[in-house]
Amino acid sequence: MEIFWNTIADYNAATWPAQLLLTGIGAVLTLLLYKRPSDAVCTAMKIYMAALNFWIAGIYYLVYGGPREYHRMLALFWAIMGCIWIYDLVVKHASLSRKGHHTLFAGILFVMPLVYPLVSLALGRTFPMMTSPVMPCSVAVFTIGLMLAFAERVNIVLAMFLCHWALIGLSKVYFFGIPEDYLLACSVVPALYLFFREYIRSLAGSASKPSPRVLNALLVVLCAIIGGFFVFTLLHQFNLFTETI
Amino acid sequence: MKTRHELTEILDFIAEYATYLLGSGVHTSRAIRNSQRIGESLGVDIQLSSFQRSTILTVRDEESGEALTRVVKIPALPISFERNSDLSALSWDALDERLPLAEIRRRYALLIEKPRIDPIFVLVTVGLANASFCRLFGGDWTAVAIVFTSTLVGFAARQRMQAHGVNHFLIFIIAAFMASLCASVALRFDCTAETALATSVLFLVPGVPLINGVIDIVEGHILIGCSRLINALLLIICIAVGLAATLLMVKDSLL
Repeated sequence: MEIFWNTIADYNAATWPAQLLLTGIGAVLTLLLYKRPSDAVCTAMKIYMAALNFWIAGIYYLVYGGPREYHRMLALFWAIMGCIWIYDLVVKHASLSRKGHHTLFAGILFVMPLVYPLVSLALGRTFPMMTSPVMPCSVAVFTIGLMLAFAERVNIVLAMFLCHWALIGLSKVYFFGIPEDYLLACSVVPALYLFFREYIRSLAGSASKPSPRVLNALLVVLCAIIGGFFVFTLLHQFNLFTETI
Repeated sequence: MKTRHELTEILDFIAEYATYLLGSGVHTSRAIRNSQRIGESLGVDIQLSSFQRSTILTVRDEESGEALTRVVKIPALPISFERNSDLSALSWDALDERLPLAEIRRRYALLIEKPRIDPIFVLVTVGLANASFCRLFGGDWTAVAIVFTSTLVGFAARQRMQAHGVNHFLIFIIAAFMASLCASVALRFDCTAETALATSVLFLVPGVPLINGVIDIVEGHILIGCSRLINALLLIICIAVGLAATLLMVKDSLL
């Protein structure tokens, strides 16, 4: 736990100007995707996302996360996500070619990287030992928002990676007591529901098995189970069970 | 007595039917039995020899003794037990109702046009099945949850690579690597991480080629049986390579 926060403090102290720059570029590209979407902006955003993922892999985990156990594994995890963005760019997957959808929810997810530090401050942490906008969970939330708002066809491998990362984040809430990561877990369930609901809607006219109605019902059940699991973890985190007993 | 044209039409249909069955995960003797049943309903004798990638088919008119032979490539199709069952039932219908070739063809076309199970549904159910394996092998609930999402990642990657026509063996190595890498995060937590790692790649185990290989050997189709088993063995080696890569990176050893 102490090692975890020390590595974050080292990372923030050394990279805050670069983090500000990356956050600024992300904000500008997101606004451009909303206001003036074009192939060039899509390409720039994909390159930015790949760079952001490689940054997390290289700088966050390999350079500053060295003292943590299994940091190379996590670096590889983010490097693979970076490679998926490069692949996405090369094969011209339609992952950012839609004009902004789910504006409200996606908007909330876009500001979430800025909410992370605020939550940290609210929890009594101080700079540099606090969460910042360019950290794994903040980047994961931002990526989910991006896919939700602009993906014509969701890159399902990337979505599953993020789902897996959210589960890890949730486990960190449970095992290491880092409630900030609950923000990611909370945003993944509705995002997954929306991803798959759109996919099911796209099947409406065609013959599919099971039928779109059954698929939708299964999706609701699955999201309800995952949501229930998250709520249980939240209650556990805040020790509400012991209070009621 | 059949004309040459009629014999050719029968041969073409049965070649398509038999290779469809073989490509969809049916063992050899079942494909032969079904094909011969259709042949019997149409008054011809069918002889079939199958290899891993192709099939040799001979149709012989029982009245005139005229025979035609074709070598047909076996297509790579997704395994579907429901479709196999439907196609077997079609062969019985053909025999019982003495259906003409045109009617058999029409019913066959309807059967193969039936929608396949949705890939997203398959993805989720495979994830649940693999997570259940983890539980069966003694994994705790944290490990089960990690295996579930790891399987989603590995299987989604496999589906995407298959859609892009990536080499079959490469797909198995990459999918095994990705699933086991994701499962290796279990090592960070106080849970049954070893079980999570070991079971995360079970969704890739080529069960159908293994079973079919054994059935083929037992029923005397030694060559194709061995081919299927070797193919399955190669896939298992690919899974091992993917898992080994993760273990070497994460644990610096294979054990």
